[in-house]
Parts: sequence; C-alpha cells; structure tokens
Amino acid sequence: MGDTVVIKGFKAGIILVLDPAASYETLKKDIAEKFKASAAFFGEAAKAISFKGRGLSDEQKIEIVDIIQANCSLSILCIMEEDPGMEEAFKKSLERKLMEQDYNNTGQFYKGNLRSGQVLDVETSIIIIGDIKPGAKVISKGNVIILGSLRGNVYAGAAGNTNAFVVALDMHPVQIRIADTIARSPDNPGKNAKNETKIAFLDNGNIYIEPLDKDVMSDIHL
Amino acid sequence: MGEVIVITSGKGGVGKTTSTANIGTGLAMLGKKVALIDTDIGLRNLDVVMGLENRIVYNLVDVVENNCRIKQALIKDKRYPNLYLLPSAQTRDKSAVTPGQMKKLTGELRSEFDYILLDCPAGIEQGFKNAIAGADRALVVTTPEVSAVRDADRIIGLLEANEIRRTHLIVNRLRADMVKEGNMMSSDDVVEILAIDLIGIVPDDEHIVISTNNGEPLAGSDCQAGQAYMNICKRVLGEEVPYLDLEVTKTFFQRFASIFRK
Repeated sequence: MGDTVVIKGFKAGIILVLDPAASYETLKKDIAEKFKASAAFFGEAAKAISFKGRGLSDEQKIEIVDIIQANCSLSILCIMEEDPGMEEAFKKSLERKLMEQDYNNTGQFYKGNLRSGQVLDVETSIIIIGDIKPGAKVISKGNVIILGSLRGNVYAGAAGNTNAFVVALDMHPVQIRIADTIARSPDNPGKNAKNETKIAFLDNGNIYIEPLDKDVMSDIHL
Repeated sequence: MGEVIVITSGKGGVGKTTSTANIGTGLAMLGKKVALIDTDIGLRNLDVVMGLENRIVYNLVDVVENNCRIKQALIKDKRYPNLYLLPSAQTRDKSAVTPGQMKKLTGELRSEFDYILLDCPAGIEQGFKNAIAGADRALVVTTPEVSAVRDADRIIGLLEANEIRRTHLIVNRLRADMVKEGNMMSSDDVVEILAIDLIGIVPDDEHIVISTNNGEPLAGSDCQAGQAYMNICKRVLGEEVPYLDLEVTKTFFQRFASIFRK
C-alpha cells in the first residue's frame, strides 16, 4: 500500500485523492485498508465525499462509499462533484441532508423576549415563550412557534425546507421568510386587525397568513 | 459625479435622522437621484422614519463584507423611484465597518447618484468617523439649546480637522414664540456662537412627530416644517431662497433673511 489513496478531511466532508496510475482493484483494497486504519480517528460522523485524481463511474463511486462505510463508522450522506466552491457546497448539502433527517421533527424552547438587535439562530424547530420585538430576528431550520407577539423578523426553514411554518399568538411581523420566499408586512396595516393566533406558511411560492383553524392545521406537513 | 453629504450633530435627539429623511425626500422631489445611507449601525432608525423597515433584506454591513452587491441592498422608496435607502445593520455595532470601507462605498455610489446623504450616529467615536470618511460636505443639525450648540461646536471642529470645509448649519425645532419672549436662543444667536453659514431653520412642528410615526417624510407638504425642509433642499442645490416667516407678526425673521441673503 503506497500513496495510491490520500484522504483529505475537513469539517463537513472528505476528499479522496486517487492515483490515476493504479488499477481500480488495487484502489479498492487500499481504500478499505486506509479507512480501517483511521476508523478511530474519524469516529462516528456524517460527512459528504468527493473524488479527485481519476474519473470514476457512478457505480464505482457508490461501491467505494460502501467500502468506506463497511470499514469505519463514518456515514457518507452525499457524493459531491468537484468544483471551485466545493467546500461551501459540501457544507450546504450536508446541512440540508442533516436537516431533512433529524431537525425537522425536533425542537427546543426559548423563554424570554427577543429585543431589537437580538438574533436567535437555531438548528431545530423552536418554540418561543415571549415576544419578538421589531428589529429582532429568529432563524430556524425548522418551524417557529411564538407564544407571544411577533413584531420582528422570522426566517423558518432556513435550510430550504418549504414545509416550514410560523405560528404566533399575535401575528404582526415586519418580515417573514420561509425557505427562499420573503413576505413583508403591508405598508398601511389595518387598525382593526384582531389579535388572534395565526399561521404563516408557504404555498406555490407565496406566503399566506391565516387564522389557525382546523382546516389549516390538517394541511401542515412535518 | 455625485456629492456626498453627511448630516451630523454630536448630540443625540436633535433631528439628524428626521432631517436626513426629509432632505433626501425633498431632493428626490426636485428630480435628483438620491441615496440615503444609515450609518448608525446597531441603532438603526432611518428605515423606520422612511417607512421602509419591512423591505430590508441586506444592509450596509452585508455590502462592506461582500455578502451581497450594493444594488441588492439599496431599497427603492415607496413614493419616489429616484430615492434609495441603504439601511444599517441592527445586529452588529459600529466596529463592523471602517472609515476606509465607507470611503470606498461612497466612491462607488458617486457615479450612480446625484446626492448621497449619510445619516450620522450621535457621538464622536467610530460611527462618526465612519460617516464622515467619504463626505464632501456636512450639514450640522442643532437645536437652540446650550447643550446641543456645545456639541455642534465640537463637531464643527472635528469636521474641520478632517478637511471637510463646506459645513452648513440647520437650526431645528425653533419656537418663534419662545424666541420672541426671550426664553430661547434665536437662530441668530446660534449662528453667532458657531460661526458657520446657516442653510435652514426648521420650526418645532407637531406634524414632524406625526410624519415620523407614520414613516412618511413631509418635505414639500403644506406645514411649516415641510416648507422649511424643502427650502433647505433648494439651498443645497445652490438656489437662493428667503427664510420662512415663522410668525407673521415677527419682523425678526425678515431681518434675519436680509442678513443671510448671499
């Protein structure tokens, strides 16, 4: 086993540099050995992977991923194509995958008011016991539920989840963003708007804010 | 080439942001292409006074940190298509931007706009230094109160030290009735203390409070403050405009106008 296989690791993923001169069979054997030797080092982590040095067919890539997973405790979530902004792309894809896997249905609580200039940025869904004041911001990869009044900015589904929603007991947001769609408050808000519990959700590229009734609730997809 | 004007005061609460919003709106009404920049990072207000808060996606810090292009961060005004606002960041502080970055930013905007107005934060620290870095001229706002005038004097000195020589004075929230009774400094008195040229007197007007709360600048409207701001805009453009007669019975302002007619 020489330097036919080089593993370059970073936070979100690994790049496998393969010797173009070595045969595919030798490479497979060397990859198995390398990952077995460094299994303890990598531990149990979720990574994205990319191949460098030689061209591989899709079947070969999948075979190599299988070999890696068989020889250490890493789980390879996605295979990346090579490109200049690769590390960024790695991170994004990995985050997206991770969110789909775990974060959509887990949540946490936050108690307190968020005042102007404060930002609450969470990986999971969040339930806020308190108010969001104008100028404050909540960013969540999942859903946002506010047991208080919403008068600031909310960004739900921050990793691109278009099913994310926002619920507030008193819904008067400056801006609501769900995935890549932004809605802003009307310029002349009606004075007689009732303080009732409302939900904001994304449908067909538009954000709708409606009273939280049975029909709307049955349409929620987690 | 556009002109970069910083609106500053030293003391807080004398009407920098209100003046920026109204002068910007007035210049846009007069057909100029105007960009307003809120440099008060961490305590942003100009977007609220302009009624554009709900449109903010990117801000000044995003621009200098290259998270977005300038065009993406500029918000077009509701009423005047040639008026734009570059909002400040609320979640950061003044140290997020350096004078060098501000100079570069205003330099880039110069080719696009006729006037670039910078709303300066109160104080003389980093935020002030950022705001004046790229400025060609300054409008110093003060109220006819000893404390505000003291701070304005300090600011004028700092502006001179930073080679900003074209400095003009706006006396804000003047109450003609109190001046008449001798209970308030007159704009003459203020000018005498500060020894710079006057560019406008804005009366204390409750319409300002209403307009600020509604997010709709009142430059050009019928009320006295609206007229006063419109006159300031015309003087910024180099026109000679007589000062408003704030109270019909007063001969004082007529005398005043004749003194400052250039």
